[in-house]
Amino acid sequence: MIEAQGLTKRYGAKTAVDGISFTVQPGKVTGFLGPNGAGKSTTMRMIMGLDKPSAGSVTVNGAPYASFRSPLTEVGALLEAKAVHTGRSARNHLRALAATHAISDKRVDEVIEMTGLTAVAKRRVGGFSLGMGQRLGIASALLGDPRTLILDEPVNGLDPEGVLWVRNLVKYLASEGRTVFLSSHLMTEMALTADHLIVIGRGHIIADGPVDEIIARGTKSTVRVRSPHADQLAAALVRPEVTVTTKEAGLLEVFGATAEQIGDAAAAARLTLHELTPISGSLEEAYMTLTADEVEYRSDSPIPTTEPATLTKTEVAR
Amino acid sequence: MSTVTAPAPARPATKTSLSFAHLLRSEWIKFWTVRSAAWSLSIFFVVTVALIALMSLAVVSSGPNDGPPGPDDVLAPYTVAAQLGQVALVVLAALAITGEYTTGMIRSSLTAAPRRTPVIWAKFIVLAVVFFVVAIVANALGALLQQLFFSDDLPLDLGDPQILRALFGTALYTTTIALLSFALGALVRHSAAAIATVLGALLVLPLLFQIPWKPLQEMQPFLPGIAGSNITQTDAQVEAGWETFPPGVAHLTAWEGYAVLAAYLVVVLVAALVRLKKSDA
Repeated sequence: MIEAQGLTKRYGAKTAVDGISFTVQPGKVTGFLGPNGAGKSTTMRMIMGLDKPSAGSVTVNGAPYASFRSPLTEVGALLEAKAVHTGRSARNHLRALAATHAISDKRVDEVIEMTGLTAVAKRRVGGFSLGMGQRLGIASALLGDPRTLILDEPVNGLDPEGVLWVRNLVKYLASEGRTVFLSSHLMTEMALTADHLIVIGRGHIIADGPVDEIIARGTKSTVRVRSPHADQLAAALVRPEVTVTTKEAGLLEVFGATAEQIGDAAAAARLTLHELTPISGSLEEAYMTLTADEVEYRSDSPIPTTEPATLTKTEVAR
Repeated sequence: MSTVTAPAPARPATKTSLSFAHLLRSEWIKFWTVRSAAWSLSIFFVVTVALIALMSLAVVSSGPNDGPPGPDDVLAPYTVAAQLGQVALVVLAALAITGEYTTGMIRSSLTAAPRRTPVIWAKFIVLAVVFFVVAIVANALGALLQQLFFSDDLPLDLGDPQILRALFGTALYTTTIALLSFALGALVRHSAAAIATVLGALLVLPLLFQIPWKPLQEMQPFLPGIAGSNITQTDAQVEAGWETFPPGVAHLTAWEGYAVLAAYLVVVLVAALVRLKKSDA
């Protein structure tokens, strides 16, 4: 369990993390989602005692990280890929870390095998690809078989098969009752991996809740209707709580009415329907809505927006 | 990169915890598992042994000066060898810590040992022991060669406590200078800056302080290299050195000189520890 209370980090005049409080529960995967520069890494570094909070505090299992007698068995962290001496081999890097806690070479070889690094374990880390560096970082985090795992952007640079592996690994670790806290700016990945989400933007927590709930909160369900009589149908649907937008000739998007109500209305007016599709919001949409005012770096050039080709809620739930 | 195995099987609980002894072991592994260690130590070793032998040859073949060979002549090769050989250790010592900062390794180290300062202490002890042992062995081997070939002209009297102290002091001096480089590296966190500062203090400053200006001359005996190298000489040599100073300049004995060097080390090391403790990693 990770608990943050009024956690704040200022760099000069800039506030990277602004008095956030949250709890990460054991037994599930908690995602830490936010745009670049939102304060995710800074928060994780404060949990690990690498950065000192300007105000507030954060504890792991009730105590500050630095106070543990056996820190690596308490918390395993991947904070950035390649926090590794480039001149040392992967295995020797892990052996040196393991030695600080008298963790056996057997365990070192175990995590090497687990992370699929066996073939390159004796190679110097300087020649590693981003994906291999990421695997080594995960191997270091697992070294002490810790009760709590903190992973900053763990799937960065991994191939699809590696992404799948991380996803299964964190779910498995959480199912064993461990606390798993992982950050990402990839919403789809979060939707597939996390049970619980903490959304952060510009140092503030914008949302904190189960994944489904956050998607529901940040999106509005609409119904897509295709009909040769679109204009008449639109007129038939007019009611104060219903908004109808015409996307193109013969295609409507209706907000505020269910598919059943629209179908009934069309039948009553004897209008033909070619399509009637309820569209659930995606996490991406929710995220955009939630973080709209909180993005640090925004591309101002207008990008033609097409229909969001993202996961629907039903897919998310799978 | 295609191996994907099942997640960790449940492990029997073993007794694992962080301790200073474990940190020493970790730093020992770290020290020997980068190439710069074997390279620098080999260079130091070869340079030291070869220079002792070569300088002894030079002293002998330059012919008898005004009298029988004295302690000056016997010890001169060791001093020259130490002056050159120390460069390899200065570089290695700085890299041992700056390498962690430039690669980001320091964050892994501090995650494993979040109280931070023990990491520096463990590294300091490992370096001190390795450097001192290697310096002693290199000087001993140099002495062996010297006595094998030149014992007639340059007899090394190991029964003389002054000679023994000078030889022991040479290893101590080399080690301390290298540790100063390590402390500076820990403070400035930048290889080139640390190495340049130490070598500048050892090689350039003494020249600068020869400018005949009273305040500079008065500070000269307190320069780290000059003060520290007193311990590499016999008392008679140290006293003879005083004669070369301008009048009114402080006279440091062998151990006083070493204490000055040690004071530099302590100041820089404390500054480095404070910075490590206070700042974000």
